[in-house]
Amino acid sequence: MNLLNYIPALDDFKNMYLSVRFELLKHLRRKRVIITLALAILIPLIFLTVPPALGQDYADTANDFVASNLAFISLLIILSGAIFTGDAISGEFEKKTGLLLFPTPQRKSSIFMGKYVAAVISTWLIVSIYYLVTILEISSIYGASGITIELAQSFLLALLYSTSVVSIVFFFSSIMKKAITSTLIGFFLLMMILPIITTVFTVAEVDPWFIVTHDGDLITNVLGAGNGGGFGPGHGFNLTTFEPELWSGIGVMSAYTIILFLIGIVFANRRRME
Amino acid sequence: MIIKTVKCPKCKTHLKINGNPGETILLSCPKCYARGKYTFPGEKAEIKSISADNAIEVRNLTKMFNGFKALDNVTFNVKKGEILGFVGPNGAGKTTTIKLLTNLLTPTSGHAYINEIDVNKTPTKALISVGSLIEVPGVYDYLTPHEMLTYFGKIHKLDKNEINQKIKEVLKVVKLSEWEYKKIGSFSTGMQKRLAIAKSILHNPKILIIDEPVIGLDPKGMKDIRNMIKQFKTEGITVFLSSHLLREVRDTCDRVIFLDDGKIVTQGSIDEIMNRITIDTIEVEFLNQLSEDDIKKIKSISEINNLETENGIFKIKFDGKPETSYKILKKLTKQGLKVISYSTQKADLEDFYVSIMKDERGVV
Repeated sequence: MNLLNYIPALDDFKNMYLSVRFELLKHLRRKRVIITLALAILIPLIFLTVPPALGQDYADTANDFVASNLAFISLLIILSGAIFTGDAISGEFEKKTGLLLFPTPQRKSSIFMGKYVAAVISTWLIVSIYYLVTILEISSIYGASGITIELAQSFLLALLYSTSVVSIVFFFSSIMKKAITSTLIGFFLLMMILPIITTVFTVAEVDPWFIVTHDGDLITNVLGAGNGGGFGPGHGFNLTTFEPELWSGIGVMSAYTIILFLIGIVFANRRRME
Repeated sequence: MIIKTVKCPKCKTHLKINGNPGETILLSCPKCYARGKYTFPGEKAEIKSISADNAIEVRNLTKMFNGFKALDNVTFNVKKGEILGFVGPNGAGKTTTIKLLTNLLTPTSGHAYINEIDVNKTPTKALISVGSLIEVPGVYDYLTPHEMLTYFGKIHKLDKNEINQKIKEVLKVVKLSEWEYKKIGSFSTGMQKRLAIAKSILHNPKILIIDEPVIGLDPKGMKDIRNMIKQFKTEGITVFLSSHLLREVRDTCDRVIFLDDGKIVTQGSIDEIMNRITIDTIEVEFLNQLSEDDIKKIKSISEINNLETENGIFKIKFDGKPETSYKILKKLTKQGLKVISYSTQKADLEDFYVSIMKDERGVV
């Protein structure tokens, strides 16, 4: 094994950058960005328009309003992560576009890293728009004072959680033959399987600190307000007796991000077009 | 894989051994039970012998898939500027070879060099000057040819103006100029194939590795691609053309390699191969219908190897020599047979192919 082969050169970064741009173009052309963007704008707008329409008042504090607004952020993160990442690697093999892409003078790892970064950027874009719309709503209802440091923390945690979601789906994309399989496995693992496992651990009175979706609850927990229920990790179940700790949650999400990304890259590099 | 014969230092018995370059194996003499080690000549020695005249050099290439040997110790080279036809039936190992040459697969043993660089060790360097078309590649159907080709132009370090100019050029070559800004998803299979060809020549490659380029094309498209390959020859581009269409190979290639069951059956220049074809046919028509006796008389002519009849035309197999043809005609007329048509049909690459392959799988 020649270790020199693993040291990236300037060209590798350039190729990675080209891959990022190409992937973003593909996301845009496939209308994925537009669909998820529409959701990122429409979902917070529902929380702005529905209460007055039903004759109800908004929450007393901005953080309470944000907490209910963010009830769907996990769903959107998982949906975006699965859509943008599911076919990143498996799609090239399944649709045989790899026959065009791989016999080029660039490392496969540059291509795959570019795909990963593009998926992260796309998911971050969706999350950012969601928060931007929420911030505009807060400003119009509660004024500028409604924008709190907790909201910024929540935003940063949402970005970290998004990255770990992308890494998880990226890993599945590197091992699955079909893009639809990696997308669905990623989506259902994060939406259903891990939350169910969390519940099982909770019932068994074992702290599920190591389950990434459990740590994703930090996005709303950090606001220090009761949330309005909804879908996604930690929602829809009232058995939770364990709250994720901030720093351990950050550690777990970072670990999922790094470990699954690296395993994904290794598997993707080893994959061959047979 | 290297096969060597070594001598036992103790009892002088000859042992046949095999292994990979640089590999050390333990030996035990079957006669005197003496034990020892043998190291096969390493890679360095092998690399030194790679010729700079060769654009592609393949050494002892073997590829196994779950115990199945798709390619078995294949060695060949392609000289710079040469067009080499790689011929064989489906499943012969042609696409496996191409995938090994483009680093889509890793060899089980052996090496593939492009411009003296080991493709599987340093693919980024080896593939700089290579354009490839492998099988029927998928295309990004939601992009336009312009968007797709722009990306590949950038990968090959062309600048923006160069990319735009080259895109126009290559799309013109493959007759897709009017489709530059249309979604690839609306393209027919033939158009997608032509677009893949455009991608393979976008960066002015010095070496083209192409796999069944005319499959999926209409007759006009096939002719265009053949002409394009001939044009590459005049531009000094090396072409490695894998095909099971023998006419395509005969019309475009300088040299041909016949592959079957993962092994090279034979190779040579098209002229050499054609010269090796010694059995030709004479097609003869007679004025009157021949009787059984007449046919017996014809069969008795010593120069005739075989006689067949098809729709009243007699097909005489002979050794292909003009003087033999003349002798046969002379003997036919001497026997009082009224010959109204007598023409020699030269055997083609197809006949040669069929004669050397185990069966006639997938030959067109």
